[in-house]
Parts: sequence; C-alpha cells; structure tokens
Amino acid sequence: MPELRKDPISGRWVIIATERGKRPSSFNSTEKVSTGGFCPLCAGNEDKTPPEVFAYRPYGSQPDTPGWSLRVVPNKFPALRIEGELDRRGEGIYDKMNGVGAHEVIVECPEHDQTFSSLPVSHCEKILLTYRDRIHDLYRDRRFKYISIFRNQGEAAGASLSHPHSQLIALPVVPKRSVEELAGAREYFNYKERCVYCDIVRQEKAQGVRIVSENQGFLAIAPFASRFPFEVWVLPQQHSSSFEETPEWYYASLAEVFSDTLKRLTITLNDPPYNFMLHTSPGNEKINDYYHWHFEIIPRLTKVAGFEWGSGFYINPTSPEDATNFLQEALPALSVR
Amino acid sequence: MLYMEELQDLGYEVIAASNGNDAIKKFEIYQPDLIILDILMPGMSGIETMNIIREKSKDIPIILCTAYGEYKQDLNTWASDAYVIKSADLAELLTTVNKILPI
Repeated sequence: MPELRKDPISGRWVIIATERGKRPSSFNSTEKVSTGGFCPLCAGNEDKTPPEVFAYRPYGSQPDTPGWSLRVVPNKFPALRIEGELDRRGEGIYDKMNGVGAHEVIVECPEHDQTFSSLPVSHCEKILLTYRDRIHDLYRDRRFKYISIFRNQGEAAGASLSHPHSQLIALPVVPKRSVEELAGAREYFNYKERCVYCDIVRQEKAQGVRIVSENQGFLAIAPFASRFPFEVWVLPQQHSSSFEETPEWYYASLAEVFSDTLKRLTITLNDPPYNFMLHTSPGNEKINDYYHWHFEIIPRLTKVAGFEWGSGFYINPTSPEDATNFLQEALPALSVR
Repeated sequence: MLYMEELQDLGYEVIAASNGNDAIKKFEIYQPDLIILDILMPGMSGIETMNIIREKSKDIPIILCTAYGEYKQDLNTWASDAYVIKSADLAELLTTVNKILPI
C-alpha cells in the first residue's frame, strides 16, 4: 500500500510508493562524466583559472602555482558579478535588481580522479573548514544575504567536469526554498517551543530505523518524508543554527559522518550521480532557536517529471527505511564515542 | 565569413576551418596566434576541439564564441581565454580579440 508522508518542516507531502519496492540495483547509475582530456582544475593548469582567493599550500609557496592541496577560485565566467550596487527598483508591479553576487569554485584536491568519498577524512574536514572560512569572508560584504554551497557529482547531477570540486554562490537575497524552510521551522518553534530538527534527531535516535550513520556529534538519516530514493540528511546532534558558527572541533566529527555516508551511497548505488547542498541560516539571522543547519544529499536516480513539477508532490519508489537497511549493510557502523 | 571579413579589415590574417577536425589540422599546420571556436559545430563540439588543442598547446589563446550563454556553467570552458556571446554587433568579439592579440 503506498503511503503519503508529510515533511514536518516544509509541510510537503510525499508519496512513498512501496509496492514499487526499488532495490539499489534497479537504479542505473553507470553514467559518468568524461575524465579524459585537458582539465583546467588540475595542478599545473593554475593559469587557466582566475587568481585564487584561498588555498591550502605549503608555507612560502606562491599563489597560483602547483603545490596546493585545495584551492578556491572565482568562477571564470560568472552568472553574477561581484562589482556594483544592487540598485533595487520596481518596474510597474515587477521588482528587479542588478545581478550582483559571488560565484566561487572550491577545487577540492589537485588529483583529477578522486571523489569526495575517496578522499581521506582529514581532507574532507579541510574542505568543510574551507566552506566555513569562505562563508565568513563573504559575509563581510553586507550586500550578501545568503550563501549557498553545493556539490554536483556526475553528469546527471549537473557536473560538467569530473575533477573534484564544489561551488559557492553568495546571493543578495535569501532564496525562496530557504525562506520556506525557515518559516516552517519558525512556525513549529512558535507552537512547540522546540526546534523541529532537534525533535527529528531525538525521534530518529529513539526509533533507530532511519539512521544511516552516526557519531557523537552528527547523525545521518534517511528523512521520514524522503522525496528521492536514498536521500540522506546529515545534521548536528546538538542544536546549531549556523554552519559557519559551529565550533572548530565539530568539523572533524562532521567529516567522519559525511565521508562515511557518501561511501555507503557509493558502494550501495555503484557510484551514483548526486548533489549535496548545505542548508543553513541566512547571514542576518545566524543565531536562532528554530533552525538547525544540515546537509542534504540527493542521489540522482530518478527523474523529476510533470507530476512533481506541477504539484510539488514527489513519488519515491524506495522507502527511507529500506534505503537505510541497504546503506547500513554497505559498511560496518562507525563507533559512537 | 562575417568574422573573417571583419578581422581581415582590421589587419588580421585569418584562416577558416569548417569543423573541429579541420580546426585541429589547421592548428598543427599553421600554428596560429589565436583560435576562435564556436561551441556548437557539426561533429566534434568546440569544447572537445579546444580540449584536443589544449593537450597539444596550453598557451595558444582560445576564444569560445557561441550564441548560447548556458555553456558558461560548463567548467570545461575555463580552458579557454574568453567566452563571447555571438551577436550581430561584433564589437565584443573584436574587443576581446584585440585585447588578446593587439594589432
């Protein structure tokens, strides 16, 4: 019997079509981005990127030369421009402003053939700390209201280049999806005086049927109303509204669960294309009681089509409980210290 | 052809190629100072052509010239030196050419 499940934050309903009962092997995820040819992100090709704004490199080594272990560069052909004022204005009933923003590429390592899940956990921590540092730096610019960090892995997930990289876009407005999520979390808090995500963490730990990975600091779960098969969220176990304000020692703990979760997805789904996105509080309300930052990982196994676009409803052919079982079987559990 | 005439009028010597394979062949024979590539071409795309040329020379300046803005999201375009949107007004292309290869 299919089941309708409601996401407690967005209020979105999802159809969990369990009779379709899709197993990991039913999803064809063999499509790969071409790895051959010239790569502008590889070590030695620093002259093909704009000058780096941040890098991990040995003391004394020159910017924009080989030797780095991680590099951040502005987008060479950005959709939004860093220069200029917003100049918000109306045109009749329509609102507009100048396309001001920052678009950066985080080149995660010098080697072309790595993936986030194949990198050592200590290097994953470095990547996560870089996200934090770039967010701090960009929020010094008062024009930016929200910073979106995401990663596209595989062509079906929008990656055009297989060299490991993630992206950051600083926006002059808070995106609609974030506004809706914040409103849902605020509404729940106003009613219950508790953070909805903290309640999710508590309930998932108590029920134990959707926990994909966990350590002392973080929990990875297949959310109750997963929109997509094998969707996973990674959340801090303690309340924390802002990713970049998380204490330094937490990032090693996050890297451990994040890397473990991606390894499980890679093994279970045969290296699937996926997107991950950071969901965190906007710059002007970083510290609050109602929102709880987290990463959402969406393997791209099914296509979003007319019904989903038209109704906002999603049909998920694999229940999150089944997905959890498959992901748990992939590797031994992390030790919860 | 329009590009060719405009660039010749400005004093550049121009060699035309009919597709990606032809461009690679002509690059090897003539060793030009600058290459202008369309992205959508019959057969091999401009990005594939550029990647093959880049394997042979990292330094030859390449301008991608296309009617489509969406390829800007493709990080493979970073191997080029400039990305110009095609327009009836050739001013942007000519300015870019002049910046890379002043006459």
